[in-house]
Amino acid sequence: MTAVDSTKAEMTAPVPQMRRPWGTWALGALILFLAVTPFILVIVISFGQKIEGAGWEWDFTLANYQRFFVGALWPDEVTFLHLQRLYYALYYAVIASVLAVATAFPFTYLLTRQSRRAQSCWLVFILASLSLSEVFIVMGWDVLLSNRSGLPMLFEVSGATDWLKRTGWFDVLREWGLANPRNVKFKTSEFATILTMSYLVWPYAVILLYPALSRLDPSLTEAARTMGASPTKVMTSVILPTVKLPLIGSTLLLFVFLLGSYVTVVVFAEPAKQTTAVAVYESVRGATLDAPFGAAQAVVLLVTAALFLVLAQYLTKRSEAR
Amino acid sequence: MRRLFGHIFMALSGLVLALPIIVVAGASLNGGRTMLFPPEDPNFARFVEFFITETIWVRALQNSLIVAFGSATLAVLLAWPLAYLLWAKGSKASKVLAGLGSLPFALPPIVFGVGLGFLWAFIGSLGAIWVGIVSHATLFLALPLVTISIGLQSIDRAHLDAAATMGATEAVTFRTVILPQTLPYSISGFFFALVLSFNEFIVMFFVSASAYATVTLQIFNSLRNGYTPTMAVAAVLFITVSIAVFSAVARWGDLPRLMGADQSRN
Repeated sequence: MTAVDSTKAEMTAPVPQMRRPWGTWALGALILFLAVTPFILVIVISFGQKIEGAGWEWDFTLANYQRFFVGALWPDEVTFLHLQRLYYALYYAVIASVLAVATAFPFTYLLTRQSRRAQSCWLVFILASLSLSEVFIVMGWDVLLSNRSGLPMLFEVSGATDWLKRTGWFDVLREWGLANPRNVKFKTSEFATILTMSYLVWPYAVILLYPALSRLDPSLTEAARTMGASPTKVMTSVILPTVKLPLIGSTLLLFVFLLGSYVTVVVFAEPAKQTTAVAVYESVRGATLDAPFGAAQAVVLLVTAALFLVLAQYLTKRSEAR
Repeated sequence: MRRLFGHIFMALSGLVLALPIIVVAGASLNGGRTMLFPPEDPNFARFVEFFITETIWVRALQNSLIVAFGSATLAVLLAWPLAYLLWAKGSKASKVLAGLGSLPFALPPIVFGVGLGFLWAFIGSLGAIWVGIVSHATLFLALPLVTISIGLQSIDRAHLDAAATMGATEAVTFRTVILPQTLPYSISGFFFALVLSFNEFIVMFFVSASAYATVTLQIFNSLRNGYTPTMAVAAVLFITVSIAVFSAVARWGDLPRLMGADQSRN
């Protein structure tokens, strides 16, 4: 859901001119102040300097960015610790968003073929799980994946662990970091992180794909079917080409959303595989208290997110233009 | 056969979607203080704790409610003139303004949270509860903006023309035609903002500066000490509120249309 939809209000309504232009200006100023100044402040402070033991001061130094990209001791020593965190943020987000869209697509397609009433019921459920706070979702998956209860326990009790050990899969799981000597374990692992992230955006994926899929003309697929095309053929040659752009656009939006996810990474990712969002938090409010460096990391995150958003916007525009 | 397969797929998706919610809801019934599933000695003692006896949770819930209702109201009040401007004029400036107003919602909330933290620190009101309200209103401005815009677009032009022909002034048309027809959409926007504000925490974390805690913040703060069934009660409350709110939107509004379904097919 973005305000992009609202740009459709282009046709001018027969409403007279505004008589109070100052009201419009005040509204504009207020929105600029609230929605834009925070981002500008982050950008400006990212060029600031930390004062040891106190806080920070205004400055114009690129030291924070240098520290992010090549390490603080450059050029004597080069470290890519912070770039690596950005890499993990991108890595988790890419897999999780693609996974979410790939599974939400058939679901949404089936959903739009249901009756209006059934659609409403499903939408209520999906919106409710969409709005559920990340802290609760992480809590639920944490219980499900923790070693003393949930899935590992189920593996143990049902004998699946023994079966895995007999067939040799257990060693494979251990290599992937999904098992300890005694049983399977999912915390902490990339698997748990990506699974939870994917779950987090799955309802968003449904909501984003819903308009495009529900506007799909059923006569098109019917025509293809009467002419003897197999259901698979209909899917690949009629449906997929029509929704290709919304599919890519939604994946990009979800990807941007996941770039900033925090709780999931803190709880489920291995300490060595944390992301930039976590680092921002640590710098600004955590142990290190280095606001300018935190701001610089936030700017990198912001620029990355903005790039992909622009791309998504472009794709949405193109799909609407057709 | 294909149809059956489709039904199974949908049911399975629904099940996975419900799984963590079921687990948390089950854990909230635990008699003891450990988060076990299935619950041990199930009873409602944790519910009493959350709503009545434990003051940190009662206060957190109060804060959550104040911020959610305050920010949702403010978001609708800010979004209304903006959506109206966009619809009535459709000028370049109003589109840019709407785009900028949606920025906080579109970009990673942690960045907006850090920025707001700086902004309110400069003004010197970091940690005040009204700051939390204003911050959330800005963050979720995009939601009522979208729903109200959809509502305005759905107004039949013939009604406006009829009103104009019969000599209604702008104010009268607004009151008798535009406002009633967009009311359900404004209310939907209000509820979307309300529910999301209720559940949001990262922006709240930066603007509250630990001066007060909402429920999600309180849970996050206790994250390192491990979960307790009392927190699970909060999750049950939140999911119940969400389902109630969206059911109401579906009952009195057109949810498929709000979500962008095609109007011609019913």
